[in-house]
Amino acid sequence: MSGRSPAAPLLAVRNLAISAAGSAITTGTNFEIGRGETVAIVGESGSGKSLTAKAIARLLPQGVTATGSILYDGIDLMNQPERDMRAVRGRRLSMMLQDPFTMLNPLMKSGLHIAEVLRGRPEFRGRAALKAEVAHRLGEVGITDPDVAERMPFQLSGGMSQRVALAAALANDPELLIADEPSTALDVTTQAEIIKLLKRVQQARGMSLILITHNLRLAFSTCDRIYVLYAGSLLEVGTARAVEEDPFHPYTLGLLLSEPPVDKRVPKLIAIRGKVPRADTVMGRCTFADRCDWAKDECRAATPPLAELAPGRLTACIRRPEIAPEMRALRGAALDHAAPTPQPESATQPIVRASAVVKDFAGRQGRVVQALKGVTIEIEPGESVGLVGESGSGKTTLGRTLVGLETPTRGKIEIAGIDASDFAAMSGSDRAATRRTIQMVFQDPYSTLNPRHSVRRSLSEAIGTIGRFNASEVDARVAELLREVGLPEDYAGRRPSSLSGGERQRVAIARALSVNPKILVCDEPVSALDVSVQAQILNLFKRLQQELGLSYLFITHDLAVVRQVAQRIYVLYLGEVVEYGSAEEVIARPQHPYTRRLIDSIPR
Amino acid sequence: MSLHVEEAKTPGRAPRMTVSIGIAVCFCIMAVVVICALFGSSVAPDSPFTQRLEVGDIPPSAAFLAGTDLLGRDVLSRVIYGAWTALVGPIVVAVGGWTIATVLGLMAGYLGGWVDSAIMRWVDFMLALPAPLIAIVVVGVVGGGYWTAVMVLIILFTAPDTRIVRSAVLEQRPRPYIDAARALGISKTRILFVHILPNVLPLILAYVVLDFAFALVNLAGLSFLGLGVEPGTPDWGRMLFENRTILFTNPVALLLPAAMVILTAVSMNLIGDWLFERLTR
Repeated sequence: MSGRSPAAPLLAVRNLAISAAGSAITTGTNFEIGRGETVAIVGESGSGKSLTAKAIARLLPQGVTATGSILYDGIDLMNQPERDMRAVRGRRLSMMLQDPFTMLNPLMKSGLHIAEVLRGRPEFRGRAALKAEVAHRLGEVGITDPDVAERMPFQLSGGMSQRVALAAALANDPELLIADEPSTALDVTTQAEIIKLLKRVQQARGMSLILITHNLRLAFSTCDRIYVLYAGSLLEVGTARAVEEDPFHPYTLGLLLSEPPVDKRVPKLIAIRGKVPRADTVMGRCTFADRCDWAKDECRAATPPLAELAPGRLTACIRRPEIAPEMRALRGAALDHAAPTPQPESATQPIVRASAVVKDFAGRQGRVVQALKGVTIEIEPGESVGLVGESGSGKTTLGRTLVGLETPTRGKIEIAGIDASDFAAMSGSDRAATRRTIQMVFQDPYSTLNPRHSVRRSLSEAIGTIGRFNASEVDARVAELLREVGLPEDYAGRRPSSLSGGERQRVAIARALSVNPKILVCDEPVSALDVSVQAQILNLFKRLQQELGLSYLFITHDLAVVRQVAQRIYVLYLGEVVEYGSAEEVIARPQHPYTRRLIDSIPR
Repeated sequence: MSLHVEEAKTPGRAPRMTVSIGIAVCFCIMAVVVICALFGSSVAPDSPFTQRLEVGDIPPSAAFLAGTDLLGRDVLSRVIYGAWTALVGPIVVAVGGWTIATVLGLMAGYLGGWVDSAIMRWVDFMLALPAPLIAIVVVGVVGGGYWTAVMVLIILFTAPDTRIVRSAVLEQRPRPYIDAARALGISKTRILFVHILPNVLPLILAYVVLDFAFALVNLAGLSFLGLGVEPGTPDWGRMLFENRTILFTNPVALLLPAAMVILTAVSMNLIGDWLFERLTR
């Protein structure tokens, strides 16, 4: 293997087409990675990026098949018998998966995951040698505490689990590591640490790395070269720097533009319209044509080839030479554009005032877990407030407490002048009035709507809570609500299962708006959505605020998102507000170390 | 301000009701049983009660397709009439047991607290009892035959079923759509019956069918022990008991009702499994 010329790629994938039950998932993708190179495969959900990774390791789930050729250092992996593949996996190429909590065997001590792989190697025979090597391997991924090897996976944090998983993936010293969204399930600050670690290990070992991610920024900051995958076909290839400076394909440009910038507020994000299609519905033409502003008939006539326009720069856009100036102009305009953060006129009385709110939960063995340790926040009418923090900071608990889904242990909550500390203790009319004032939008678009109820039923039930209406009044209101959130009126007859994630979130917003609330508590409303759809929903929030004069409490871990919608920010850390101020102030001049860490962890 | 509307695509795919040959056969068997139960008098070649002591027990012949029993009664007609008790009792047990279990399970799962504790301690107590023994003792002591047996089975079946409903409810309760309904101020009863119930109903329907099969076997067993139907009633379990002495003169009188119990129970079990997969996926 060492006799091979160093110029030959370590891995060359040719015409890799993946399909399941006769429908295509990817169509003939080509890519390669050199020794010591880092390559990113970027794509949204449904692009086929994870299955591409699994196809390389020949780990496709049952019923999914792949054709094409995968040449790994001269070995044809595609036609390798399963028994020989086992020698390749782990040793030559290794994989690291997204969810740190299901990746480790819950019944195995964390050290055993690494020892299990090392055991096959003669140099680590014997208990002592094995134990020392496990400790050494954990050290490599930044775990210096020797106790960690003895802990069970449930005793580890997400970041810790991901480190152990990385050590296990590296235990056989692979030449290529495929990391499938290794940081997505983690907190922002932990995400940055894991990516930094991955990069450090890759450089120290001279290993090749394929990073699979939906995050273009992350790909730019970690990888040498970028492959952009969309609905099963490659749309753009190039070095990270070149793609970032001048994306050749309208989709890449759209992705870049729809990512909310953290350093400034833009009047409106430039969203890609529509939603990611299924690969088999856009075969035989440009897969992006339906969402592209530049698409012409020629784009839909045939599958555009991935053409090399400059050395190492490939794009599947056949109109690129014509539209290049327009694309650059659009990019330039977006980069320059900044809007001042609107400030509400210093108002009379805050619409929400929570003072010294404490919430205790009963933990294991009678211990008390304090989720909120005396939090005080205020929201003015028409103001949009961001509540930023990582998981476990208590931000969701605070949101739920405000809408009456939890009752605070101590402290006082006032909503529109009514004492709403304990919903159960309020008078019926006060409770009804408060529920008309404050409503909530939840994170998970897939379970936020009752799967058995049509859109009309969900909305009309909510409308029914504020009074009695006859059927035609309800229908008119349902249509109005759907229009307000940008959905066609005939969506009323649909079930949630026939809606995309973004559409479900729009219906959920319509449901919250049906009682004409003055403030919406939005708990990570866009974090489960694709980047291109996320921008659409953020624009919707902005428009609704202007049109209806809504206040928001925007709960999120994503500072860039909060920068686009919030005027003021509260930073919550371990149940306490550690910093608050105007959005600009907090992001430009963070005071608390945690806020600083949060801002540093944004990939740049 | 223009707002892009996401393109409408892939309308919600209804669960495809593909039927394999095996399931089709099960449905056919059940159709035959149902027809026999409802229209027994027109389907059966003879009255199940006509005694021909002079004939006695004879093996199958052209006149009596399944032969006759000790009292000279037509076995085929008795099997056809027996479909009634094989169907009605199990249906009442399955539907009755699940109705009670659904109400209790919804309350235990959604309300929690002392309601949950009270209901679940009762369930624990019921599960600690040896169910078949209790049924034998109660029906034997109280009397009343078939319908007492049905009532006892309802109560015995309710306990484990309550557990199943409760765990399904616990799975739905933390979902945001329930929180959204609560935040809108929708009443507990409405959340329970309009929001949660439709989401656990598919699971319940599948289990109702499975419970039918259990109830059928249990009732036939009690009848075999003489604790079910009145003597003389055409009933598959009872026929097993009555005809066990003529195994060698007319084996069909024993094997036919036994086969019907097995076929019906297996069919309902398979249909239940099939429904379970269709509805709960």
